[in-house]
Amino acid sequence: MPIIEVKNLVKQYKIIEKQDGLLGYFKNLIKPQYKKIIAVNNINFEIKEGELVGYIGENGAGKSTTIKMLTGLLTPTSGKIVVNGLIPNEKRIQNNKNIGAVFGQKTQLWWDLPVIESFRLIKKIFKIPENEYRKNLKRFTEILDLEDLLDKQVKNLSLGQKMRCEIAATFLHNPKIVYLDEPTIGLDVFVKENIRKFIKEINKEKKTTVILTTHDLKDIEDVCDRIILLDRGQIIYDGEKQKFKDIYGKYTLAEIIVSSKNLSVKDKLQSNVFEIIEENEKEMKIKFKHDETTIVKIMNDISEYCVIEDIHMRESELEDILKEIYKGAYKNGANNDSIRKNAIKKI
Amino acid sequence: MVQTMIALGKMQLKRYNIYKSNFYLFTFNRIIEVVVYIFVWQAIYYQTGNAGGFTIEEMTTYYILVITFSSFALWGINEDMAHSIRNGQINRELLNPISYFKYYFGVNLGELAFATVVGFATFIICSFFWQLVLPVNLLDFILCIFVMILGVPITFFIQMIVGTVGFYTNSIWGMQILRKAIIQIFSGIIAPITLFPLWFQEISKWLPFKELIYTPVNIWLGNVEMNEIFFIIIKQIIWGIILYFIARIFFNHAVKNITINGG
Repeated sequence: MPIIEVKNLVKQYKIIEKQDGLLGYFKNLIKPQYKKIIAVNNINFEIKEGELVGYIGENGAGKSTTIKMLTGLLTPTSGKIVVNGLIPNEKRIQNNKNIGAVFGQKTQLWWDLPVIESFRLIKKIFKIPENEYRKNLKRFTEILDLEDLLDKQVKNLSLGQKMRCEIAATFLHNPKIVYLDEPTIGLDVFVKENIRKFIKEINKEKKTTVILTTHDLKDIEDVCDRIILLDRGQIIYDGEKQKFKDIYGKYTLAEIIVSSKNLSVKDKLQSNVFEIIEENEKEMKIKFKHDETTIVKIMNDISEYCVIEDIHMRESELEDILKEIYKGAYKNGANNDSIRKNAIKKI
Repeated sequence: MVQTMIALGKMQLKRYNIYKSNFYLFTFNRIIEVVVYIFVWQAIYYQTGNAGGFTIEEMTTYYILVITFSSFALWGINEDMAHSIRNGQINRELLNPISYFKYYFGVNLGELAFATVVGFATFIICSFFWQLVLPVNLLDFILCIFVMILGVPITFFIQMIVGTVGFYTNSIWGMQILRKAIIQIFSGIIAPITLFPLWFQEISKWLPFKELIYTPVNIWLGNVEMNEIFFIIIKQIIWGIILYFIARIFFNHAVKNITINGG
């Protein structure tokens, strides 16, 4: 049985449409004009216990709105959410016992008190048994390296230190589900790695279901098994991470440094096995698939127009694939589903 | 549940403890207030030979007690709550496994504990400088404290109502001033209620504010009849229930509003 079940979920906001000028201001006071915005448009998914799900999309795609609905902070306009057998916005407090959440910069730690005080409070609020609390605290301190931080006041911690404590606080009561809304925002590489490692280990140990939204795709690459990709309120991909890469992204990127190039190669050279993404006088970016052509052939073709000096190649990463998807979707001015899906297939 | 609330109260008290100067400054403040009021009434008394129907000792005791008790009625979680609504911290607080009311009631206990500490210090220091009238019997003292304690939920619910206004406006500063002004005038902080017009006294008899400070102080001074105290306690309980429901309904409406329209 899935631990999270989302069916035909829709969230519509009503916002006041601002009118210009003084007259508009008075008009707004008397009879405001409302505009409807659909943040989440008919999405469906199921998440099983112990899954690590990356919930991704651009800013404003509806990620945070979904997370807020899953935690019960927002009421869906229509559709059904069942989390752990409960409807979150109706049984919020009961639901809160089973979940943990990190919301970007907002904290559950008490600003002017030492970190350990907040942990003790969480122990009281969630009624964590003493030995469980000790065990968790010891384990988390170890993985997240909190030893020296626990006695410090929260306000004296750096962003990364704060986030490490925050993450520990979120997992302290052994939640079944944890929502992490951009937990790595603004952190340095080491802290990010630390946090990723923590999420993976706890997931393995306790079968905690984790839903992670982030703009850092390294997080997803490293942590998640499954991706749900959201675009303008709709799910455009839901499935395994590896499969996602296989379908959309089995290509190689090559950066070729060239010299004595005076004409646009792109205009001269038409090929259906590789594509020139970018070019200028010194550099060309090329995308191709290994099973269709080889770099030697491409270099052969290009060298007719210029001198090749150096070459860098790398396999496409999640980031490249997503960039392509977003770009594709925009290029078509896509507003309906089919066009956007085509855009994805093209890649 | 009670344990959780006490834990929250302790947290809040610890916050005050972090900044040690808080205690000294607040206590100093209170004492200055006492001095100002006492000087004014001494001036009146020595010129007219009368201090609003009280003896000068009674009046001095009245103000020392009023100021000692006033922190219970005036301080609280209002600012914390408004702050949390404005910066979105409320989303975090709504994810606690206890209700928002209980959460803040717990925090409020911490405020009260701090008010008690400051009040006690104010009282002790003032008692060095002025001759105080003590309760004539132990029962008066106990009833005074009892009526004070019954005022705790009333103050809390009023604060929740004022705090909830923060959902609809971006600042509750004006509401705060209003709340404080009402409590100051109706609970006898500014002057004993018996000095005000009769119609005002009649209104204040039915409102819950008088019992926050004025009535307990008068019980201490032995100015309240036993059968009156009975009426007062019933009145407080009824007001407590009424304010609870108003606060609850208003707050739930506000939360429903943000969960539908987004924060």
